[in-house]
Amino acid sequence: MRLAYQRKDELMSDQATSASEAQRVSARLERLEAEAIYILRELAVFERPALLFSGGKDSAVLLHVAVKAFAPARAPFKLVHIDTGHNYPEVLSFRDGRSRATGLDLIVRTVESSIARGSVRLAEGASRNAAQAVTLLEVQQEFEFDALIGGARRDEERARAKERVFSHRDAFGAWRPRGQRPELWGLYNRHLGAGEHMRVFPLSNWTEADVWSYIAQESIELPSLYYAHQRNVVRRDGLLFPVTELTPAGESDEIETLTVRFRTVGDVTCTCPVESDATNAEQVLAETLTATSSERGATRMDDRANPAAMERRKIEGYF
Amino acid sequence: MDGVSFIQKPHAATDQIRFMTAGSVDDGKSTLIGRLLLDAGALMKDQRDALAEDGEDLALLTDGLEAERAQGITIDVAYRYFATPDASFIIADAPGHEQYTRNMVTAASNSDVAVIVIDATRVEGGALQPQTRRHAVIAALMGLDIIVAVNKMDLLEWSQQRFSQVETAFAELATSLRISKVTCIPISARKGDNVVRRGGAPWWTGPTLIEEISHARRAKSRANSPLRLPVQAVLRTGATRHYAGRIESGAINVADIVRVGANATAAIVSEIIVAGRPVARAEAGASVAIKFVGERDITRGDMIADTSAHFVRGVVADICWLDESAWKKGRRYVLRQGALETQALITEINFVHDITHQSAGVAAATLALNDIANVLVAVRDAIVGDLYADLPGTGAFALFDAQTNQTCAAGMIREVAL
Repeated sequence: MRLAYQRKDELMSDQATSASEAQRVSARLERLEAEAIYILRELAVFERPALLFSGGKDSAVLLHVAVKAFAPARAPFKLVHIDTGHNYPEVLSFRDGRSRATGLDLIVRTVESSIARGSVRLAEGASRNAAQAVTLLEVQQEFEFDALIGGARRDEERARAKERVFSHRDAFGAWRPRGQRPELWGLYNRHLGAGEHMRVFPLSNWTEADVWSYIAQESIELPSLYYAHQRNVVRRDGLLFPVTELTPAGESDEIETLTVRFRTVGDVTCTCPVESDATNAEQVLAETLTATSSERGATRMDDRANPAAMERRKIEGYF
Repeated sequence: MDGVSFIQKPHAATDQIRFMTAGSVDDGKSTLIGRLLLDAGALMKDQRDALAEDGEDLALLTDGLEAERAQGITIDVAYRYFATPDASFIIADAPGHEQYTRNMVTAASNSDVAVIVIDATRVEGGALQPQTRRHAVIAALMGLDIIVAVNKMDLLEWSQQRFSQVETAFAELATSLRISKVTCIPISARKGDNVVRRGGAPWWTGPTLIEEISHARRAKSRANSPLRLPVQAVLRTGATRHYAGRIESGAINVADIVRVGANATAAIVSEIIVAGRPVARAEAGASVAIKFVGERDITRGDMIADTSAHFVRGVVADICWLDESAWKKGRRYVLRQGALETQALITEINFVHDITHQSAGVAAATLALNDIANVLVAVRDAIVGDLYADLPGTGAFALFDAQTNQTCAAGMIREVAL
């Protein structure tokens, strides 16, 4: 098996496998990868770009493509993670390991520090997920990042379906769905006014199935939570809620130990696993192609509350 | 399961086709998109369960933003995704409202083919709606093949006569617009006939809509065109430099002699890297990093090309004006072609296309939002004089307002100005 992430010198000397490799790559993934690399290379004109790296599968794919885009040189950006303080430890250690392996600087800022500073005040029991937007804008200003690269995909959600690849944010970090710049061919408009920044989404045109096909094809390493494991859960509203220190079972809840995996990995308090026996990317892909519920619909409490929830968060500066 | 077999499985593999849809809610465009998503199996159980059986609420699947519902209209292009056993598809769904030409232009620039949806019950006496004509004109200007989804045929009891009227009307329009290919297909989006599965008209022996879209892959391979490789970035490792960019047309091989920059300096290719791996050859569409024999002075915006590229400081172009604020004579814009940005002036408006009627065009002193005009453009740094009809990758340009940073216009080079 190939290593998930090859070092630069290995990348360069791996010619023997490239012929058979090329045949295996479908035209579709080739086109998507070439497009993502093209978009990432546009970042060369920004002075202080950063890639949002949470350790989730989409950002793992994004980082993998980003390393390729600039090979044999090093990718010209820092990695940023906004930690809600409610992340699974497996994901955080994966995040740190991948950052070290790529040699890119990792900047971590916590929602906790925004709460301490007073810029975030959460209602009792509210998820910290939406509050990430505040911390994100704080780190954007602290480092004067002019471009933030994210792994969001248009197939995820209706507000994202209308997002530009180069999505302009005003000095307040806000997305203005009604005033988006037309995006023509690949001729992206990088121009910014004072205090403004760009959100850039190289995986815009990928679907959940594309992401898993690519993870399988490239043997991209992921946190173990994405594959089948035993977990204590309780059933509520058709969702499986993980039983954790942060999210203990209620008195009337019946705790079950099931074989599950996560389809998205976010804040512990708002991400639910699904039942699954899939232990590798091929099996997850097979399940994805016959899945009965949409990725976020099955697993994200934050999007269930209101169909416009994502749109509202994005207007506030969420990615 | 082995790692190779899944790639050949339905839905996981093969080609990717990008198409746009134009038409209004009244024509049943949203219902058609809902139908495509439903019958191609793109919907999940939770989404399917929310639908009534009669197809009446298929349009709700493409329900837009809160900001749009507040206004009661769709205001922006939305992208949708689905797959069949043969291919995966990306729909750029352009709102049909007449003033939103800019959305159609945006969608068209990111598509391989245009699907225009019309309401067959409203084509009386063979006259097409003004809006339909507008959609066809823009698709033709942007060089897309057109497929016409002749919808609501069930309400006309699949009248073959009505369908023939539509075909005749479109054939005439296609001739006047010099479009090579228009295909009409009789469908019922609501019932699902001839969209993904056959049905409705026993007399229809042509393709279903999805079959026709599947065949509309990029007409001719751009790999056989002249080489154009705009340099996006210079990748430095120690003393070594690789020049990174996407091949817009043609192909490049190790040991090729190519021309670099406006001075057309010759350079020999010593290495080609695609996605981190060295290759001997790369073709149009590939994102590559190129190394040359010896030192070269190349920066972002330079063009790597064959000997066919000629550089010019003026072009005649069709431009679609997309900015709320009108064009003013003397105002400077930033022109982007490939990765090059340079100052530009529109020095003359030859005529504004009259795209609702079929007249030749009218003289004008200004350009307002949604105007499409034939203009003379002068640039400070030389650009490649490629024609959009031959080389769409480099024959296209965008104009940005140097003061407001807005994206103002989509441009297509028609002639080189002398």
